[in-house]
Amino acid sequence: MWSRYRLEIVAIVAIVCFCGVFLYTSSLMNDAEYAGSDTLGSAGVAELTGVSEEAFQPLVPQWEPPSGEIESGLFALQAAVGGIFVGWVFGYWKGQKNRST
Amino acid sequence: MEGFLPLQWAVFWWIIALPCLVFGILQLKRVLAADREALPLLGVTGGFIFILSSLKLPSVTGSCSHPTGTGLSSVCFGPWITSVICAIVLLFQSLFLAHGGLSVLGANIVSMGIVGPLAGWGIYRALRDTGVNIYFTVFLACALADFCTYIVTSLELALAYPAEVGGFGSSFVMFMGIFAITQIPLAIVEGIVLALVFKYIVQLKPEILVRLKVFPEEKIRAAAGDS
Repeated sequence: MWSRYRLEIVAIVAIVCFCGVFLYTSSLMNDAEYAGSDTLGSAGVAELTGVSEEAFQPLVPQWEPPSGEIESGLFALQAAVGGIFVGWVFGYWKGQKNRST
Repeated sequence: MEGFLPLQWAVFWWIIALPCLVFGILQLKRVLAADREALPLLGVTGGFIFILSSLKLPSVTGSCSHPTGTGLSSVCFGPWITSVICAIVLLFQSLFLAHGGLSVLGANIVSMGIVGPLAGWGIYRALRDTGVNIYFTVFLACALADFCTYIVTSLELALAYPAEVGGFGSSFVMFMGIFAITQIPLAIVEGIVLALVFKYIVQLKPEILVRLKVFPEEKIRAAAGDS
């Protein structure tokens, strides 16, 4: 019966390992800020060009979420929209399958 | 990273991205006209791009990045239709999240929507008709699509900002250190999770995968039978 769930087990182990590695490395690196790689990339560009990061202004005017809370809320909204699609379709297929058998 | 690509590069990547998007939209129309039952599958694969690209996860390098989720769609529908879904997600993120931006959207579509999926699709096509396990194929395609996205991001930035000493090469190595290394563990986990999702699609709706010729029929039947 275990072989039926082989992929599920691999997935759980991988996620647990991922969390474990995160806990281990974050306990070693006290100065890690866990900033986005985009932020680090921007800093990299500033370093290469010798121009301060603030000097890079958007080429096209851009609305920015007024705070981190609002931004994370919008990200959650994006994930929720995706989740609704996925759940709806799996339910639809499940229903089709039950009816045909 | 709006404003971080010089105008000429932003325009250059837009010029590459646009024909691919037009081709993708035409292909999408054709696939949906041929088979309405493909629409739910598009919903699932597109839904995962929405979910995964919004999750910023911490990685071993002490920074955060997000997976792309494009591999699954690329396996089922090919890279061009994937570009269209990516363009929608990236447009949302540019307009409402200040994540990316309208001028760099072209470059982001090329990395996340075109080259990444193309790389994943390439490995999938190479392994599709061989004896390799279908879930392992999907895993490789998804992990590679994710990882290549960030290699291309590094490439785009290195082309725009070659270092004074060492030129393009040393910039590329630096940006690879920022984007690609962070991405390795995320790409592996993403590959495994999407392979699992693919397993559920095989269990619930093998017919659609057979009809779209995602894998040879006997391989899908075998996978659906033993699960």
